[in-house]
Amino acid sequence: MIKIQNLHKKFGSLHVLKGIDEEIHQGEVVVIIGPSGSGKSTFLRCINRMEEPTQGQIWVEGVNITDPKTNINKIRQKVGMVFQHFNLFPHMNVLQNITLAPIKVKQLSKEEAEEKAYQLLDKVGLRDKALEYPNKLSGGQKQRIAIARALAMEPEIMLFDEPTSALDPEMVKEVLEVMKELAQEGMTMMVVTHEMGFAREVGDRLFFMDDGKVIEQGDPKDIFINPKEERTKLFFSKVL
Amino acid sequence: MDRWGERMTISEIFLGKQRYMYLVKGLRFSLGVTALSAVIGLFIGVIVSLFRISQFQPFSFITNPRLKKLSTFNPLAFIAKIYVTIIRGTPALVQLLLMYYVVFGSVAAPKIIIAGIAFGINSGAYIAEIIRAGIEGLDKGQTEAARSLGMPYGMTMYYIIIPQAVKKILPALVSEFIILLKETSIVGWIGASDLMRGADNIRAQTFRAFEPLIAVALIYLLLTSVFTYFMGIVERKMKLSD
Repeated sequence: MIKIQNLHKKFGSLHVLKGIDEEIHQGEVVVIIGPSGSGKSTFLRCINRMEEPTQGQIWVEGVNITDPKTNINKIRQKVGMVFQHFNLFPHMNVLQNITLAPIKVKQLSKEEAEEKAYQLLDKVGLRDKALEYPNKLSGGQKQRIAIARALAMEPEIMLFDEPTSALDPEMVKEVLEVMKELAQEGMTMMVVTHEMGFAREVGDRLFFMDDGKVIEQGDPKDIFINPKEERTKLFFSKVL
Repeated sequence: MDRWGERMTISEIFLGKQRYMYLVKGLRFSLGVTALSAVIGLFIGVIVSLFRISQFQPFSFITNPRLKKLSTFNPLAFIAKIYVTIIRGTPALVQLLLMYYVVFGSVAAPKIIIAGIAFGINSGAYIAEIIRAGIEGLDKGQTEAARSLGMPYGMTMYYIIIPQAVKKILPALVSEFIILLKETSIVGWIGASDLMRGADNIRAQTFRAFEPLIAVALIYLLLTSVFTYFMGIVERKMKLSD
């Protein structure tokens, strides 16, 4: 579903990603953990070209997205993204936030888009907030709306960039619940996270990243119990 | 028979020989120039600010790292920057006189048009910087969220960035228009009969400086206050939708 080949990313002289080769399969939930500065977010952001890879290739459903001729907007419709800071549009209410892209990009009628939006709001448990503006919502509610907004484009892959890192502790769970449900429905997901419980419980595969590389990967349950690499052990000894 | 100088009353100064008409006509001219240059300035400002924030890099096909400067060169942003630097770095009066004596030196055109263009070009540079700061001051996450949903650049600007930027820049834009109105008081230099020149004419006829100048100051003050008041209402209305 996603194939990454020899991915490098440099910011000026800073070499952030130093060669990543991975394949992510349909329906898989890949959790990416690692110390800060290890390139987790940059890696994720290359997959929908929020960052331009410096070198290497990425295929999403057989389309080479690093090819300059590829229409990246078409790809992004299939690859939803959820951000650490939610990034809801503050000048639009919840319903408008969710329906804007389906109406303008996918050319859905307003009625179709709103019907779909209400279904998604039910799914994230926030139907009653449809006409509120984002500044009236809690962090957890904002993030659930952001997930609904991404899902409204009916993506085949969802990228989560530290979706609970900006949340107060008591709101983390409500967001993780939504993500878990999504995983159970068979959504292909890549999740950069610091939530070890979530990684262990929901992840099908875990990437441990350090210094711009995936240095260890496998079934999260195994890695948590029996990490092979020294750096992985060191990391777990600090966070668990 | 006019008395003049020390012994004149206010009504004699302004009503005698219908001298107040200098102020009425001057006011009309000043407002006309301001409106015209505001429209031109806003138009230029929007275009130039878009130039400055554009990602246009026609030489990006050059991959040689030693020519990195060239491959990331944005001619639109460069032109915009030159324009802003020149306009902001030279006095408006010089620009006005250049427009009148040089650009329109051999072309007959109404003074209101010449002044409107000169002040429009002048104001455009300031407005461009105001708009650019407003757009660049927005959270980058807004653009990213829209782009991640598959919205193209133009659509993102139109639906996400500009509506938010407008709210942010409105106060700065209001003060720019106030400055513009006051700035037009130098059009007397090209022989135009604006409000300021009206006061000058009255002074010349009556030998009284105080009353006409205070009258003009009060008119400017009244205009800017009324404008500020109404824009304040607009700003509050916009905040409600947040």
